[in-house]
Amino acid sequence: MMQASWMLLLLAWGGHANTKTVGQTLPPVEPDVHLLADVRSVVLQGKSHTDKVDVPGPMNLTLQCTWTANGNKTLNVTGYWLKDGRDIDNSHVTLRLENQQVHLKRTFLIKNEESLGRYSCMFGNEAKADFILAVPHISDVRDKPVVSYVGDSVVLACKVDDRKPEPKTWLWFRANGTDKEQITTVAEPQKYQIKNAGKATKLHVHNLTRDDSGLFYCAAVFTIGTAVSHLELKVITIYEPLKPFVTIVLEVLILVTAILLFERGQSKKSQVQEASEKEVANAEPPATNAEPPAINVEPPTSTSSATPSGESNGLEKSSSARQRKS
Amino acid sequence: MASVRPGAERRRGGEAEGPDGGWGWVLVAALFVSTSLVFGLMRGLGVFFVEFVQYFEESAQAISWISSTGLAAQQFFSPLGAALSNAYDTRLVVMAGGCLAGFGFILASQATCLLHLYLTMGLISGLGWGLVFTPMVATVMASFTRRRTFALGLAFSSIGLASFTFNPLFQFLVETYAWRGALLILGGLSLNIVPCGALIRSRRRPKRPAKADAEGGSPCGGVLRRVASYLELSLLCERPYLTYTLAITFLNVGYFVPYVHLVAHSRHAGFSEYQAAFVVSAAGVTDILGRLASGWFSDLGRFRLIHLLSVWTALAGLFIALLPVSTLWGSYAGLVAVSLLYGFCAGALTSLAFTVVPTVAGAERVMGALGLVQLIESCAGLLGTPLSGLLRDVTGDYLASFVVSGSFLILSTLTMATLPHYFSRTDPPLPPNAEARRLSSETERMNATH
Repeated sequence: MMQASWMLLLLAWGGHANTKTVGQTLPPVEPDVHLLADVRSVVLQGKSHTDKVDVPGPMNLTLQCTWTANGNKTLNVTGYWLKDGRDIDNSHVTLRLENQQVHLKRTFLIKNEESLGRYSCMFGNEAKADFILAVPHISDVRDKPVVSYVGDSVVLACKVDDRKPEPKTWLWFRANGTDKEQITTVAEPQKYQIKNAGKATKLHVHNLTRDDSGLFYCAAVFTIGTAVSHLELKVITIYEPLKPFVTIVLEVLILVTAILLFERGQSKKSQVQEASEKEVANAEPPATNAEPPAINVEPPTSTSSATPSGESNGLEKSSSARQRKS
Repeated sequence: MASVRPGAERRRGGEAEGPDGGWGWVLVAALFVSTSLVFGLMRGLGVFFVEFVQYFEESAQAISWISSTGLAAQQFFSPLGAALSNAYDTRLVVMAGGCLAGFGFILASQATCLLHLYLTMGLISGLGWGLVFTPMVATVMASFTRRRTFALGLAFSSIGLASFTFNPLFQFLVETYAWRGALLILGGLSLNIVPCGALIRSRRRPKRPAKADAEGGSPCGGVLRRVASYLELSLLCERPYLTYTLAITFLNVGYFVPYVHLVAHSRHAGFSEYQAAFVVSAAGVTDILGRLASGWFSDLGRFRLIHLLSVWTALAGLFIALLPVSTLWGSYAGLVAVSLLYGFCAGALTSLAFTVVPTVAGAERVMGALGLVQLIESCAGLLGTPLSGLLRDVTGDYLASFVVSGSFLILSTLTMATLPHYFSRTDPPLPPNAEARRLSSETERMNATH
């Protein structure tokens, strides 16, 4: 009703009115059939609430807030909207509490990057809800640098979350001093390769050199704006991991040598012990050798070979027979 | 020669008076380190997968074949490790295995395609691990008689501890040196198996090959016979051993399923990432406790090892089947409780599964027996996890996969119950030729240790 009377005034003045801008004037809401439309609603539980809205392109966005007044307040409350902390004209509405609940709803035309920001619906001074409209963020890449080796190739990747909208295209930049320099595959096709696949992008960097270390930026280009994220690349030589490796190999060699030496020392000691034991054993009279053999010894005459002395032959035969038996 | 009274062997484990401690504890420490560098390392490779997927631009499934190949190679080459240890010197075999394991990872750091990783991280390192694990376990088992299960439990607790320490360590290595540098350093770490192998005392070759030669026949036949005796292929003709192997195979189908699917199941039941990770960590802690407690308790000698193994296996199967049930009521405490109990039982049964082997196959055939059982159980591992994954995809949740895994463990217990003389209070007598060989090699060993 207030809006209608304001427009009538304008017409009456014939357009010569000096419109003082108190707060911001937003374009009148004319639903454009070509634009997307979306609705976001919030039911306020406490005093305030914040919601993040990803806006990839121009759209008509309807924001609704519902607030339940606690306590028995039968007063009217003034509901209004703010953008980035500043009042929006024509947004003040007096609301009556019905069943302790009040609703605020407004459709905003988001047409360019300036339309993005923080929209707040206010219920007097009692409660508010913030909607942060922004270009969709790129998923957090790890803050640790990506490490690779000289001569090797590396893949740098950026992606937006599956639930978020898809960017129009992806761009990559290299840090050049304080500037960002765009990477084009046309200039150096053997070095860089960009593979875009909808919600993800990969930059392949080949033939790495130490100069390739530094910051790389990936940019997700949406109709309404660009989101940028950065990755750090660190190029090292093979000597870096070689140092701990050689240390470990040395440690292994030292351990093995120590163990083998220790064992040789032990076995020498036991050999000395054995030798001394043997000496003690040999010092005893050879009682065992004088034992008569367990079996009957064949008389020397039965053998084919002639022997000079029968006795020794018999003894020999008996001992060999004994050995054969055991 | 000491006279071995027949009555003395009818003790639990069927052993004559044997070594128990002394240098054996040093070997336990060596096995502790080796096991962590074999299985602990395998479990920590998950950190590399993300890097491989991004670098080689392959699917997660193709990357996961790397560790499957490694595990399969370790189990497949176990009989080879056992046979070589029987034929030559265990120490040399283990040291060679350690070199191969390290070499595989060092080569892998230079990989330019996925096939290289299959061949190096999978095949070469797997071969090395196969040459290390079975011989070392058999050596430790031979060094103990009464404290065997506890010694093994103590050594195997390294797997759980390694998972704790290796995951953050590997993450750090990958972040600092990228996967190439990290693999190089892991290769160096794997070389630490070599000093562990050096700690094994050389023993003189047993006289068994001489006996085989004495039977005569063609030279080819002699070599084959010798190889067969090194591999202990005669075990495959004995029903107790086959029954036991079948039981272990069933066990392996279900055993690994919770390790693989517990996190996914917890997330599916609605718990957060941290809650799910905590459940797995808690199960890991009770796993370690279970190994130690079961080891100590088994060595008290109150019960037969096979009975204890059956009890722990049945309980573990029961708790696996209960896992999805506990989340049916949406209770986090229930899930944690069942996981803790499962972890304890799963840890408790592992060392017993090894120490039962001498009661089934005889002490001096342990080396070959362990090798063969590893080979046969490898197909169970290949079957179990994909089967449970398939069940999950078909039915939509993990209820079916966990229940099936639990029932495989119960089936394993029932199979164990069919072992001869299961229900008697003492261990059964060993088959006759095994008995004679055991006697002769026991006395050989006693002479050799002087």
